[in-house]
Amino acid sequence: MTGVKGVLGAVVAAPLGWLARLLDTPLRLWQRLAGQNGMVAFFLLPNMAIFTVFVLLPLVINIAYSMTTGAALFLPERTYVGAAQFERLLRCTDYTDLMTCQEDQFWIALRNTGTFVVLQVSLLIVAATITALILNRALRALSFWRAVFFFPVLLSPVVVGLIWRWILDRNGVLNAALVGMGMDPVNWLLERNYAFSAAIGVTIWAHLGFFALILLAGLQAIPRDLYEAAEMDGTRPARVFWRITLPLLMPNMLVVIVLALIRAVQVFDEAYVLTGGGPGTATLFLTQYIYEVGFASLLKNPGLAAAASILMGGVLIVLTLLQLALGKRNERRGKLK
Amino acid sequence: MGRIQLHDIRKSFGAIDVLKGIDLTIDEGELVVFVGPSGCGKSTLLRMIAGLDKPTAGRIEIDGTDVTPRSAADRGLAMVFQSYALYPHMTVRANMAFGLQNTRMPKAEIDTRIAEAAKMLEIEPLLERRPGQLSGGQRQRVAIGRAIVRRPTAFLLDEPLSNLDAELRVSMRAELSALHDRLGATMIHVTHDQVEAMTMADRIVVLRAGQVEQVDTPLNLFNRPANLFVAGFIGAPGMNLWAGQAMGGSVQLDNGALLPLPQGLVVPDGPVTFGIRPQHLRPQPGGPLQARVRLIEALGPESVVHADVGIGGGLLAVLPGQPDLARGALIELGYDPQSVHVFGADGQRLG
Repeated sequence: MTGVKGVLGAVVAAPLGWLARLLDTPLRLWQRLAGQNGMVAFFLLPNMAIFTVFVLLPLVINIAYSMTTGAALFLPERTYVGAAQFERLLRCTDYTDLMTCQEDQFWIALRNTGTFVVLQVSLLIVAATITALILNRALRALSFWRAVFFFPVLLSPVVVGLIWRWILDRNGVLNAALVGMGMDPVNWLLERNYAFSAAIGVTIWAHLGFFALILLAGLQAIPRDLYEAAEMDGTRPARVFWRITLPLLMPNMLVVIVLALIRAVQVFDEAYVLTGGGPGTATLFLTQYIYEVGFASLLKNPGLAAAASILMGGVLIVLTLLQLALGKRNERRGKLK
Repeated sequence: MGRIQLHDIRKSFGAIDVLKGIDLTIDEGELVVFVGPSGCGKSTLLRMIAGLDKPTAGRIEIDGTDVTPRSAADRGLAMVFQSYALYPHMTVRANMAFGLQNTRMPKAEIDTRIAEAAKMLEIEPLLERRPGQLSGGQRQRVAIGRAIVRRPTAFLLDEPLSNLDAELRVSMRAELSALHDRLGATMIHVTHDQVEAMTMADRIVVLRAGQVEQVDTPLNLFNRPANLFVAGFIGAPGMNLWAGQAMGGSVQLDNGALLPLPQGLVVPDGPVTFGIRPQHLRPQPGGPLQARVRLIEALGPESVVHADVGIGGGLLAVLPGQPDLARGALIELGYDPQSVHVFGADGQRLG
């Protein structure tokens, strides 16, 4: 051991010590010049630089892009158009008929995303709650089942999409099974409603474990005696769930709802790999619309994509603020207890 | 109503026998305390009576009816939990109403019962608060109130005072006893605190390792413990117990001291355990017990003297007032032979 320590000391510690001694005097001098606050700023600088280059700058550039037009990639070569891109996105002759909108694809994507968010989040919450309730029972091989439900969360979204395409494809595993049982094959990914349902089902499958785990943690924090007190009182299981379990699970439930909403608004990879937005525009979601308008379509329009992404960002900011507010409220409640 | 009978109650968790055949009758209106060291099975026994756990074997009867197969809700009992188990998201009123609403009781009746219980427990100003806004003692009262409103056949109290501070525990002890007198209901109280048991119980059930050691009134347990375990467990400070040899109306300790036994007590010669309570020892020049003082705890009205008698085990004496003793001093002690306890080699009381 001493040998290893000695070597490590010589290789790592000694040069570090030497470096520290070397930097000591200039740093002290610098502190005297910059003052304590100056030193704080000095040490924060590297992080701030990274944040600026990779987060703040792209955000600013994106805003700038949203106010320009043309296919040119470099900002100085682009034409300034003010809020024209936003106008183009939002303008419709008759708002009850999306086909009259200038950017009907944007509106279709918006409507699809809205429908998707409502259906996917509500089904996901119900499924995650039921899963958590089952896992919370003293099941045999509980860790095994927990792992089974959490496993899809570990997969890359593209892999999830590919696995399910392999299952749901016209010549996929599911149809092979149906034919094997003497039934007719179904075009799971080519029928509008089936494809939309598949997008919902697959994203639920992929995210269920994560949310169920958060809810399970909440369930396990509910003291057992409360259930025993309810049992002594002859409380029916449904009433126990609605009056005891659910209210006490609420802090975790709210976090789950907001996180699920944020993720659902951002839906892209699984759905894109699974259906490519089709059939037609049946599963075209906002993120895919932005991606296609900005990068993939023949008529690239980065300005329009930037404007759409800013609108979507606005929705996400509202949801994030909601989550932060809920987090703070839970913290305060926790302190009260 | 409220007579509870246990017939040969057994409980095993796997290969471990937690309760090894408990037979017990608790009469109507009695306040019975289950007491024993940790792991003796007292809480398990209470949970069997409550219906929260099923016995491995045996029968539980309430007012002559076999309730063993019945669920907890169908036994007509109410339980006060150690942690109080109040629903944190409901007001005190909602907590108390919750069990009654399950029975579809009319709202007016529920309100009347809550008002009565709240008045009795002096928690009327707290009815609209939540458990998180109450002190430990207040939560305790609410938990009892929640049990009272159900008008149960019997109350089951699982260490209800153990989460309170010492001062509050003493006052709640008295209040619980008063409440028992007022309600006249059967109560089973579980505790590991023998002082709590002594002060509250009509009868005490002393449990050890899943078996009943003795069932009797507090004073009978103190005055005539049935065996060595009860002798050592009941009474504070604990009884002095020394091994010795009985011979002709006395017990000779290993240090040679010859301790006289009460007249008329017939003890066959042989190995015995001699017991005397610390309170029954008194200074007596030339007395049969000689000991060297190790420590004095002066409590004011009395002093607890720890001393060595030279046979391994120490000696405890509770002497009145503030005797003038120093560490290392030799004291001579005597006792009234009538206050002596003798236990045979099997640990059972002799005579």
